[in-house]
Order: sequence, then structure tokens, then C-alpha cells
Amino acid sequence: MRVPVGVKVGAFSLLVMGGYAYFANSIPQIESKPPQELSLEGGSVTPAQLVRAGEEIFKTKGTCEICHRIGQKGTRAPDLAGIGGRAGKARAGTSATQYLVESLLQPGALLVEGYPNIMPAVDKPPIALNRSELWALTAFLQSLGGTVDVVLADIPATAGAAGPGGAAAAAVKVPGDPAAGAAVFAGKGTCIACHKAGKLGASPVGPDLSQIARIQTPEYIMKKILDPAALGTVAGYPKGVMPPTLGQSLTAREYTDLVAFLLTLK
Amino acid sequence: MKARTSSSSLATRGSFHCAWLVFCAAALALAATLPAEAQEAARDPAYRAFPLIGSRLAVWAVAQLHLNFAAFILGVPIFALIIEIIGWRTGEPRYDWLSHEFVKLTFAAFSTTALLGAALLFLFVGYYPRFWTYMTSIFFPTYWVYALLFFAETFTVYLWYYGWDWLAGPRKWIHVGLGVLSNLFGTAILFVANSWVTFMISPGGVDESGALKGSVWGAINNFTWMPINIHRLIANIVFGGTIAAAYAAFRFLAAKTDEERARYDWMGYIGNFVALAAFIVLPFAGYWLGREIYAFNQTMGITMMGGFMSWLWIIQAILIGILFLGSNYYLWLGMERIPGSERYRKYVPPMLIVLTLGFMVWATPRSLVLTLDEARAMGGTHHPLLGVLGVMSAKNTVVNLMILTTFLSFVLYRRANRVSTRGWVGTGMAVQWAAFGVAAAIVVFYGVYGYFVESIVRIGFSVYQVLAVLAAIVLVMAIDIPMFRGARSTGRIRWGTIAPRSQYVLILLAVTFTWLMGLMGFARSGIRQHWHVYGILRDTSPEAVTPALGYAANVITVVTIVFFALVMFIFWLGGLGEKGRTATHGHAPAPMLAGGSDADA
Ligand code: HEC
Ligand code: HEC
Ligand code: HEM
Repeated sequence: MRVPVGVKVGAFSLLVMGGYAYFANSIPQIESKPPQELSLEGGSVTPAQLVRAGEEIFKTKGTCEICHRIGQKGTRAPDLAGIGGRAGKARAGTSATQYLVESLLQPGALLVEGYPNIMPAVDKPPIALNRSELWALTAFLQSLGGTVDVVLADIPATAGAAGPGGAAAAAVKVPGDPAAGAAVFAGKGTCIACHKAGKLGASPVGPDLSQIARIQTPEYIMKKILDPAALGTVAGYPKGVMPPTLGQSLTAREYTDLVAFLLTLK
Repeated sequence: MKARTSSSSLATRGSFHCAWLVFCAAALALAATLPAEAQEAARDPAYRAFPLIGSRLAVWAVAQLHLNFAAFILGVPIFALIIEIIGWRTGEPRYDWLSHEFVKLTFAAFSTTALLGAALLFLFVGYYPRFWTYMTSIFFPTYWVYALLFFAETFTVYLWYYGWDWLAGPRKWIHVGLGVLSNLFGTAILFVANSWVTFMISPGGVDESGALKGSVWGAINNFTWMPINIHRLIANIVFGGTIAAAYAAFRFLAAKTDEERARYDWMGYIGNFVALAAFIVLPFAGYWLGREIYAFNQTMGITMMGGFMSWLWIIQAILIGILFLGSNYYLWLGMERIPGSERYRKYVPPMLIVLTLGFMVWATPRSLVLTLDEARAMGGTHHPLLGVLGVMSAKNTVVNLMILTTFLSFVLYRRANRVSTRGWVGTGMAVQWAAFGVAAAIVVFYGVYGYFVESIVRIGFSVYQVLAVLAAIVLVMAIDIPMFRGARSTGRIRWGTIAPRSQYVLILLAVTFTWLMGLMGFARSGIRQHWHVYGILRDTSPEAVTPALGYAANVITVVTIVFFALVMFIFWLGGLGEKGRTATHGHAPAPMLAGGSDADA
């Protein structure tokens, strides 16, 4: 008896799909678990418990491992091994706790040399850690080569206030006029003497700014003009070359125009 | 005429009316209750539990089925129209017959699509009320547009299908116009639905609390909207083509006469041809989509390509490799039914090697989440060899080479039974080969050079690679068409004599592509992780875990099986109608193809 075509075709299709499903089941099975809310406010926890909770957050809800490794230099973000010890010495006058908390809440403001500004503020969605979680996470980071001394009060009360209902930080709107800003860039601001920006300029003294708005936050760009030294030096460029007086020589109008122009560079 | 038209798949028409009514009723009831619903949102539960299988699985299955059917009824008319126009311009009736046959398939699937859409709506409103209320608060105006477009689409396809004979002859242009119109409506429907889906991935136009800032346009025109519009539009054409080809393959295998075999062999060939032509541009659209996801949110991009989903792209790559290999194999098998093709057989082994190597590189993982032990065994997350082959540069290069190879297969197929009579044939061929060579060289050059430059520069290189390939395709065709016009034939294509295993290849392509669509749907939903609307509306249900690939693959497989079972059932119903009409086969008398025709696409 001949096997009907429908049966043959059906069996063949089942075999094909079965093969795909089998393969998909034979590879490592990784689920993405939704983060659990952690609340430690008011309770008493030992530093060891705190560190353990922080490690858990680091690996799960914090999604830190997407970019960071501990004990291995990543291509996207700095190795965090020893960060607890390093943090206290990173900037004069800043304690380890302050440095770590700031790294988490305003990652764009404290760039580690040689890395782009891609780290999200971890108390804002999509990561959206709450205060307790930030506390535990900081404790965990301190445990990597330092002493765990962070207390809940070290975490600003406003951190994580947006909660899981909020959205990513709204785009900064600068009221300036980009066209006028380009003129400032090439003229009074003297930026063109050291920087290239798209079609403007070609000087290799400072970094090429042609894509600055893509890789840097508006706050960073604004601060960098007013106080270049405060933000450290871009890796591979000389310290102290970018003039610190630009903030005084430009009028407020010129400054906002200039920033508006720089924000178009992506 | 009249009598035949009304007897045409009565069953299908009946179920269509029924579904249409259900859909309208559901839509109206919903529209009427929406404002009330919004007010009560505070008192409503956020979720209800679907009995037995749970809400998520229910929504998943129905959404995937609905998308499968929708993709089919949007994709098939696009090329049915193209074929109709070819038939109209060339005056060859077999194209008109084929176009009508394709629209018939679409028509049969219409009611099921609408029913599934209504079911999906019901599931959202009933089981995800808070989510639905939120989406409604943003997108309510578009619901009306959607409903109206759906109505317009149904209406024009109706006219298109039933007006086939009435609008023949001198009135044909009106008929073609109807085809154009239904496709415009269809594409618009797709774009509207995509705005909801893409908003969930990359919300735009809303403030921190998720409320609309300006007009709804800001929410519609979010980061991923356009790339997904384009990616899906193309994917739908491929999908429609593979399903139509699989249908033809089935009829071929079941055929009793040589004449039938010839007809369905040809239909399968055309379906596959259309699929292949659209398939070639899909990777480019995909890269654009990927880039926009990165632009929207780095973390999301990294999660997608390197995070818990990284294995998914390996499976995707394997499926795409199978699609490339399968469609080339089909062309090679097809050449055997063409006298004169022996001349080209020697090219098959090198092409096979290029495709296989390309497949392997494309499937090389980039950076995988591994356990620490696995990572150590591999030598870090960037394995030395994998690290070199697993990057974007290498993948772009091989996918371009695979596209060139597939195009070469097609060119050889085209000329298999023809010998050009032009005096300049030597020069022409030399230029064609040079075009292939130069394009391949450019692709490889930028591929290698890409290792030495910044990633931002490298992304620009992929544009040159694509342009080189497209330019070669255009140039080769621009020479090929005049070169083989009026060519001497070495024999007619013996339609219907193709090896039956080729028909299994067509079925393999359809099954693989459908499964791939399911997988990509999972990717699209999965990258949102525990968010209904990324960063705005959290999934707080007990089912917020994004499952691992094995589980997803099982669901996708089961749903795909159900899809094919439904499709077979619907086509079988359509066939019943056909059997009732003993005198005529389908629409215009089916063309005679047996014994030959030197047709090419
Ligand atoms: C999208 C990638 C990304 C993610 C996700 C990410 N980071 Fe970062 N992180 C970076 C980059 C890049 C830098 C270096 C530039 C800078 O300072 O912002 C950095 C810097 C840091 C620093 C300062 C390091 C130093 O040596 O001074 C700390 C601490 C840190 N991250 C902790 C975390 C923690 C904890 C998480 C998880 C909650 C996290 N990061 C998630 C990319 C990321
Ligand atoms: C005398 C040369 C000089 C002038 C004039 C100058 N800069 Fe700079 N700038 C530099 C150097 C050198 C660096 C890199 C070292 C550093 O970070 O301080 C830099 C860094 C920057 C950066 C940070 C780039 C990055 O990739 O993070 C910005 C932004 C910037 N400059 C903007 C400006 C603007 C705007 C002006 C004009 C108002 C200006 N600069 C004028 C030399 C200059
Ligand atoms: C040869 C290459 C490719 C093929 C054959 C392909 C195929 C498909 C198909 C069939 C779909 C489903 C479309 C639908 O729902 O109608 C899809 C969707 C998708 N693809 Fe691709 N794709 C390719 C390349 C890529 C690349 C390179 C990326 C990203 C890096 C990508 C990302 C996606 C995503 C995120 C979706 C989900 C969007 C949706 O559901 O519509 N694709 N793809």
C-alpha cells in the first residue's frame, strides 16, 4: 500500500521541526528572571548578609555582568576586581563610599579613562534599583578589595525614587541655536584650534568631537566646557591643555548656542 | 461565469462571513466599553489567569498564529499582484491563472486571520487588563484606523477576487488597480500594528510616567517602528512565497497526471523565486533593525546580542544557513530538468563550498554567556578563533558572499537551456564574471579591513559591501536580459520532471521559515524581559520570567504544527470547492505546461 502524500509530508515536517526543537533544548538553558524587590530599610542586617544580597543583585537585577567582569578585563567596561580598594583613591577628597555611589547614580559624570559613557544610571529604569538594593550593591563592591562600611544613609534619599513606573531620563533640551553655536565653535570659542567637529576644523590636538553627542551625555559636555579638569582627561590626550577659562570668556547666550551645536554632533 | 463564481469554495466564504461578523461585533463592543474600562482600571485586577495553560502561553500561541496568518495574507497578494501584472503585460494566461490561484489561497486564510485577531484582542482585554488599558490610553486613535483599514482591505480583496472575470479584458487595468489598492491597505495595516509592537520594545513620545507627551505620532514613530516595518514587509513576502511554494509542492507530490505535475512544478518554482528574491535583502534590513535597537538602548542591544539571548542568534544563523543551502539546492535540482544545463554542473561544488563555509562563519558565536568553567575552557569569553570569526565584520562578509553565490545559482539556472546568439556574448560574459569578481573582492577587502578600524567606521563599511553586491546584481542582470533575448534554445524546460525530493526541499524551506518567524517573534518579545512596555510598564505577573530557548522552541514548534494543520485544513476546504466543479480547474482553464515551455521568471 502506498503511503499517502499528506502523511509523508507531515512526517517530514515534524522531523524538521523536531530537529530544531531538539537542538534548542540541547544548548545551555538560560532564563531571564524578573528582579526581586529587596527591602532592608528599618531591619538590621549584618555586613555579610548585605554583601551576599549585593552580589545577587550584581548578577541578576543589576545586569552589571552584561558589561562588567570581576577579575577579567572586559572590552566594554572596567574590570571591577579590587574596586573596593581603588575607589577610595580614585579622587582626592572623595571617600570610597561616595565614589562608588556616584559611579552608580551618575555614571556619566565620573568616567573611567578610556571607556565610553554607556553605563546607565542604575536607579533609573530599566535597571531601577531601589535604595536598599543600592546599599547592598555598594557593600558588595566594597567587599571587592576594600572594607564594607556603607550605611543606608550614604545612599541619597532621592535615589530610585522614580521606581518601576518611571521612564528613562528625558532628553535634555538646550534652548540654544545650533547654527550660532557652530559660529562660536569656529570663532570666539577657539575650539576649532584644537578640535574637529564634523566638517569644521581638522586639528588633532584634542579629541575629534564629530560624534560627541552620541558618546557623551549633555551634562558631561556642558561641564567639560566650564571646567575641563574636573572631569579628568580623555585617555590618550595631554592633561591641562584644554583651556579652563572658556566658561568666563563666553556669554551665556554663546555658551547655550555652543552646547546646542555640540549636541547635534552624532 | 456567475455559477462558477458562486460555487467557488462555499465553505470558505461561509466561514469568512462568520468570522467577519465576530470580528466586527468584538471590535464594536470593545470600542463602546473602552472609556468605561479606563475609569475602572484602578479597581480592575492587573491580570487574570487563563485556565489550564496560563495567560502567557495563551497569548503567545494566539499571537504567533495570528501573525503567521497575517503575514501570509499580506505577503501573498504582493507577489500575486506582480504576477498578475506580468500576465497582463505579456498576455500569457498562465500567469493570470497563477495569480488568481494565489489570491484564492489568501482568501481562504482571511477569515482565520480575522478570527485569531479577535481572539487575541479578547485575551488582552480579559487577561491583561492593565496592560491593555495602558496601551489604549496611548493608541486609542489608531484602533479606529486599524479597524477601518481592515474593513477597506477586506472589501478590496473581495472585489479583487470576485471581480476577476468581470474585470478582464479591456477592464483589466481596473482589476490591477484593485490589486494595488488592497496591497496598500494591507501594508498600512501592518504599519499600524507594528506601531503597537515596537512601542512596547522602544517606547517613544511619552514622559517618565508613561503618559503621552505630544500627539500619538511620537509613540507611533518610535526607534524600531520603521526598521520593523521594512523587515517584516520583506519577511512577509518571503513567507508568502515559501508557503505558496510548499502548497505547490504538496499538489505536485499528490498529482496524478503529468499535466498537473507540470503546472505545480512551475507554481512551486515561481513561489520559490519570489521568496528568494526578497530573502536576499532581508539580512540588510535585519542589521538596520539591530542597529536601531542599540541606538535606543545599549543595554537592550547587548542583552539581545550578547546576553541571555546570544544562543538564539546561533539558532537563527543555522536556520538562515539552511534556507540559503536549501534554495540553492532547489535551483541545482531544477537545472536537471533543463536540457543543456550539463554545461554548468561543474560550478555546483565550488558554490556548495562557499555556502557551507559561509554558513559556518555566520553561525560562529560572538560572545556567549557561559558558565565560568565553560569560559575558561574556551579561553575567555572571546575564544581566539571564535573571537576572530565571530565578529560583525566576518559575518557581514560571509552573508554578502552567500548572497552573491545564490545569485550566481540563479543566473546559471536562467541560462541553463539557452545559448546566446549575440555577437558580443564573449565580452558580455567576461564583464559579468568581472562584476562577480569585483563585488566579491570589495566585500572581502572591507571585511578584512574592518578588523583594523573603529567599530563606528566598520559599520559604514557594511554599506559599501552591500552596495557592491547590489551593483553587481544590477549590472549582471542588465547584461543578461539583452544577451539572452531571442537566444537559441537547447531544449524546453521539462516542467514536471524535477526530482520529487526537490519538492521536499520546498517544504523544508516553508517549515524552516515559519519556525524562524516564531523564533524571531520570541526574540522581539524576549528582549523586553520583565517589561510589558520597556522601562514603563512592568510585568508583575507570576509569569514575568522570560523562558529559556528550549522551552520557547517547544512552544514555537507546537504552534507551528497547529499553524500548518490549520493551513492544510483550509486549503483542503478550498480544494473541496474545486472538486465540486468538475468541468473547470480553478479560474481560467489551467494552462497546459506539460511537454514544455521555455518559461523563466
Ligand atoms: C552598558 C554597560 C554597563 C552596565 C550595564 C553597567 N556598567 Fe558600570 N561601567 C560601564 C562603563 C563603560 C564604565 C566606565 C565609564 C564610566 O565610568 O562610566 C563603568 C564604570 C563603573 C564603575 C566605576 C569603575 C572604576 O573603576 O572606577 C563602577 C563601580 C561600576 N561601573 C559599577 C557597575 C554596577 C554595580 C553595575 C550594575 C548595577 C554596572 N556598573 C552596570 C558600563 C556598564
Ligand atoms: C588648546 C586646545 C583646546 C581648545 C582651544 C579647546 N579644547 Fe577641548 N580638549 C582639548 C584637549 C587636549 C582635550 C582632551 C583632554 C581632556 O579631556 O582634557 C579636550 C577635550 C574636550 C572634550 C571632551 C571630549 C571627550 O571625548 O570626552 C570636549 C567636549 C571639548 N574638549 C570641547 C571643547 C569646546 C566646546 C571648546 C571650545 C569652547 C574646546 N574644547 C576648546 C583641547 C582644547
Ligand atoms: C538573513 C537574515 C535574516 C532573516 C532571514 C530574518 C528573518 C526574520 C523573520 C522571518 C522575522 C519575522 C517577521 C515577521 O514577524 O513577520 C524576523 C523578525 C525579526 N528579526 Fe530578522 N532576519 C534576518 C536578519 C536579522 C538580523 C541581522 C537581526 C538583528 C540583529 C534581526 C532581528 C529581528 C528581530 C528583532 C525580529 C523581530 C521583529 C518582529 O517580530 O517583527 N533579523 N526576522
